[in-house]
Amino acid sequence: MDKSLVNSITIWAAALCTLAIYSVLYKENKFYRFFEHIFIGLYGGYGVYITWHEILYPKWWQPMVGGQWWWIFAAVIGSMFYFMYSSKHAWISRVIFGLFMGFAAGGTFREFYETYWPQMASSMKPIAGTVPNIINVVVFYVILLAAMSYFFFSFEHKSVAIKSTAAAGRWFLMIGFGAMFGATVMGRMTLFIGRLNFLLNQWVPEVQSDIQYPWFQITSLIALLVLIAVGIFYIIRNRRYAKRAKEET
Amino acid sequence: MNLLFKLQSIDRRILYVLIAVVLAVPLLKRPSKHPDNVFPEVRNAYNVIDSVPKGKIVLLSCSWGAGTKAENEPQLDALMRHMFQKHIKFVVFSWDAAGSEITYQSAKRIQDDMHAKYGVDWAHLGYKTGATNAIISGMGENFQKVMGQDRFGVKLSKLPAVSFVKNYKQIGAVVDITSVSLMGYWISYLTTPKNIPLIYCPTAVMSAGAYQYLDSGQLRGMLNGVMGAVQYETLIGRGHARTDAAATSWALSAAHIFIILLIVLGNLGYLAAKRAGIHTGGPRVG
Repeated sequence: MDKSLVNSITIWAAALCTLAIYSVLYKENKFYRFFEHIFIGLYGGYGVYITWHEILYPKWWQPMVGGQWWWIFAAVIGSMFYFMYSSKHAWISRVIFGLFMGFAAGGTFREFYETYWPQMASSMKPIAGTVPNIINVVVFYVILLAAMSYFFFSFEHKSVAIKSTAAAGRWFLMIGFGAMFGATVMGRMTLFIGRLNFLLNQWVPEVQSDIQYPWFQITSLIALLVLIAVGIFYIIRNRRYAKRAKEET
Repeated sequence: MNLLFKLQSIDRRILYVLIAVVLAVPLLKRPSKHPDNVFPEVRNAYNVIDSVPKGKIVLLSCSWGAGTKAENEPQLDALMRHMFQKHIKFVVFSWDAAGSEITYQSAKRIQDDMHAKYGVDWAHLGYKTGATNAIISGMGENFQKVMGQDRFGVKLSKLPAVSFVKNYKQIGAVVDITSVSLMGYWISYLTTPKNIPLIYCPTAVMSAGAYQYLDSGQLRGMLNGVMGAVQYETLIGRGHARTDAAATSWALSAAHIFIILLIVLGNLGYLAAKRAGIHTGGPRVG
């Protein structure tokens, strides 16, 4: 197939999917739902394909049929998971689940040590050096202790000192969450910018170049007529439903 | 006064349209100006990549897909260009099924732009799944055996970009470009135990949670969403290029100003209503 035609179809499909998904911003609709299901189906199907093509085929199937027969045991062990659907033989799945839970628990021990130990050590900062550094470290300690005191549940916060420190800790936490939420807004906005950038700088130029072709004009006309027909159908149907509901009440 | 009350109940769809208009202006104009101010964590990330010695490789671990392409692709773009400029060899691989194809297409575009050669300057090792900790740990012990082949099925021993990598001693830096964060695995199983610099490139949502890792030295640098990417572009000499990241950063700034304006107007409306003794909004919860 002509490369420019493939490119054109790709851009149109991507634009249609983008507009369909963003149509939910107006209100929940079937057009959105349809494309949402397409996305989920595509992702699931592609996941199966790529897992076979890039993982199972080269790393399991090829060695197994190439003489390393012992790889068959991977399939046997893997299939043990499916016994969870049998009430009689569920114990077989529990063996493999237990194995994986032990594996994960062991990993968590190591991850905790490697992840949090250096952070605890780095929290013990010396109050020394230049004046800005000293101020920085003091602010760090005040916030650290205040935030920790908020999560101190061993006794009731009755003392004024603990109560006010915990209250300050809550304020610091709120400021932290505010900063995180600010970053969330930035992230979500970036994702929208990505699609808007595609629509404005790829799809719109594509529409401008396609509009000269008769096939595009005919297809657009047909699509427009179909849209109008669907719109009229829904309007008539909704009116009929409303009328029926009125009659029933 | 009436107008101030109405500001609190603007139809959200009108706000969506206004936001889209605000964002569209910089995207259509595509300014080339990049920010002059570069965050220390971005500069540190640049320095780490810049100082990777010859004979060592950089691992670009990608755990992102179509959902966060707008944030993570500019990070990949900026880092790859830097490594092509400096002739630093690197590999890209994906932990996301669809991300494998997306990262390859992005990387190929940059490769063509920089006149680099696949297999010689870089390689794409495809999709990885399974026990992440075992794969990461195994990479440090026997890279060739664990990674095996590239996405086209070519053995790594036949690719000059990666054939010399035996274990962690040939890994100069790890970059985690991510929307889900595998940072914990990298820190636990490779970078901290083997003293390899780790650079984190998360989406903006995740970046606030990473500063304690920078403080402790577990992370050596960070590119905070698209803003980190655009600052990195400034460092690699693309400060006046009309890139997607630059246009995005301008659009972001415009959107932030607009949102702040809406917050101020909404609060003015709330105060005006309160003074007039009119109850607006729902009951206070909690």
